[in-house]
Amino acid sequence: MTNGVGDIVRFENVGMRYRLGAEVLHDVSFALKAGSFHFLTGPSGAGKSSLMRLMYLAHRPSRGSISMFGRDVSTVPRAELAALRRRIGVVFQDFRLIDHLSALDNVALPLRVAGAKEGQIRGHVAELLRWVGLDGQIDAKPTTLSGGEQQRVAIARAVIARPQVLLADEPTGNVDDEIAIRLMYLLEELNKIGTTVVVATHNESLIERFPHPCFHVEGGLLSGPGIDPPGIGAAAVPEAPA
Amino acid sequence: MIGRIGDVPLSGDPASRFLPWTVGLLVFLATLAFAAGMFLSTAGETWRQNLSGTLTIQIPASDVADRAARLEAATELLRATPGIVAVRQIPDAEIATLLEPWLGQQVLQLELPMPDLIDADVGPDADLDLEALSTRLSRVAPGTVVDDHAVWLRRLTNFAAIAETVSFAVMVVILMSAVTTVIFTTRTGLAIHRDVVEVLHLIGAQDSYVARQFQSHTFGLAAVGAAAGFALGATIVWVVQTYGAGLSGGLLPELVLSPAQWALLAGLPVAAVLLVVFTVGITVKRVLGKMM
Repeated sequence: MTNGVGDIVRFENVGMRYRLGAEVLHDVSFALKAGSFHFLTGPSGAGKSSLMRLMYLAHRPSRGSISMFGRDVSTVPRAELAALRRRIGVVFQDFRLIDHLSALDNVALPLRVAGAKEGQIRGHVAELLRWVGLDGQIDAKPTTLSGGEQQRVAIARAVIARPQVLLADEPTGNVDDEIAIRLMYLLEELNKIGTTVVVATHNESLIERFPHPCFHVEGGLLSGPGIDPPGIGAAAVPEAPA
Repeated sequence: MIGRIGDVPLSGDPASRFLPWTVGLLVFLATLAFAAGMFLSTAGETWRQNLSGTLTIQIPASDVADRAARLEAATELLRATPGIVAVRQIPDAEIATLLEPWLGQQVLQLELPMPDLIDADVGPDADLDLEALSTRLSRVAPGTVVDDHAVWLRRLTNFAAIAETVSFAVMVVILMSAVTTVIFTTRTGLAIHRDVVEVLHLIGAQDSYVARQFQSHTFGLAAVGAAAGFALGATIVWVVQTYGAGLSGGLLPELVLSPAQWALLAGLPVAAVLLVVFTVGITVKRVLGKMM
């Protein structure tokens, strides 16, 4: 590591707290190369979701710096953050589908907010829903879908705009193993076409089955391949393998 | 970026249901206040036009023989004065009519010493020296008083101006109430739909995209309310104008709005709706501005 060239995500000594509470992440430093695939593990409440929130630009760090796509997030004008977010796809832990919209309209949201023409949206979305096996559920509302189906809608929404980074926060938390494995194959397919993928999970069997580098968060500290253990000087920002 | 409207499910919000009623009531009141302001504006202008540019010359009562000569002399002097375009001696019967409210119908039979009155119209561009005119009149008819209605006119027009200002101020306060209501409704909507708004925000929606969702929804509700409120208010104004015509006369001017004033009045609901939509946009953007 490193000059950061080719890093699509880069954290340097990042700390994070919610409002005036205690810090939930401490001195987090790492970098992700474009096209890499990582797991992010750790016990519940360790800070996985907080780290993900920082990556999908939902929260500002309380200290340190975050670069996304080579731009220091703290210096990006607020109006331009929306454009950065459109380059990031997110599968939320609880999917966060909009209940009154159909599967098609949920998946179409990223295209609509990006200003895509309505005439082009339906075709793209229908094709993607077919790809995730929901071609018969295009007009179904999320509340009528099973957990697995909702999850696939959430994934379709996350990837419809072809993001450069895909963040999945406990995407297998609510589904059985078979669906979880299918989901992982889906994410690997996306990774093969160049999408940088980070999957936060505590599903050990998935991590064993899919051999990708793994970061671990515990007590607000990030560890993993290439990361100096806490207390050993200034952490060199690790360069994860692509 | 136009975007599809309806990503945020605002139509079922309880606060939204009251918005047309609230906007309607406020536009109704604002219409009445605005119309009242314009009525008063017209009244003030009518009073100014009717009373300015006229002089009333009062020659005190005197001997019968002398009276006619003094009246004639004063009239001639006025007619010969540059800037005075019309002179009219007010007949005794008309003076008696003016005094009737105080002295009854038998004024002339009472043989009271009554002053002579002359109305004089002053040309619009005349630069009349009232003091000099008064001095000259006193020479031909001692004790003559020249009244240009300045004091009365000032009081009357001041009253009209104050009442007009109050009416417009009331209208502004009413519109501000509408703004406050809309801010409350919008903030409530944002709180209720925080999850959806946050999802839109996190998938890259600009603040303006989210704002348009709220603006489009509010536009429809406010337009319905404003149209109904204006229709009711304008009907009342029209009734007052139509049936109030019989009340005019004397110093009470006609309660009539000109076509231009009606057009201004019709612009009120449009302005109210635009104000509401603008307020919604600002409110949403301010709240979203607190997000990263």
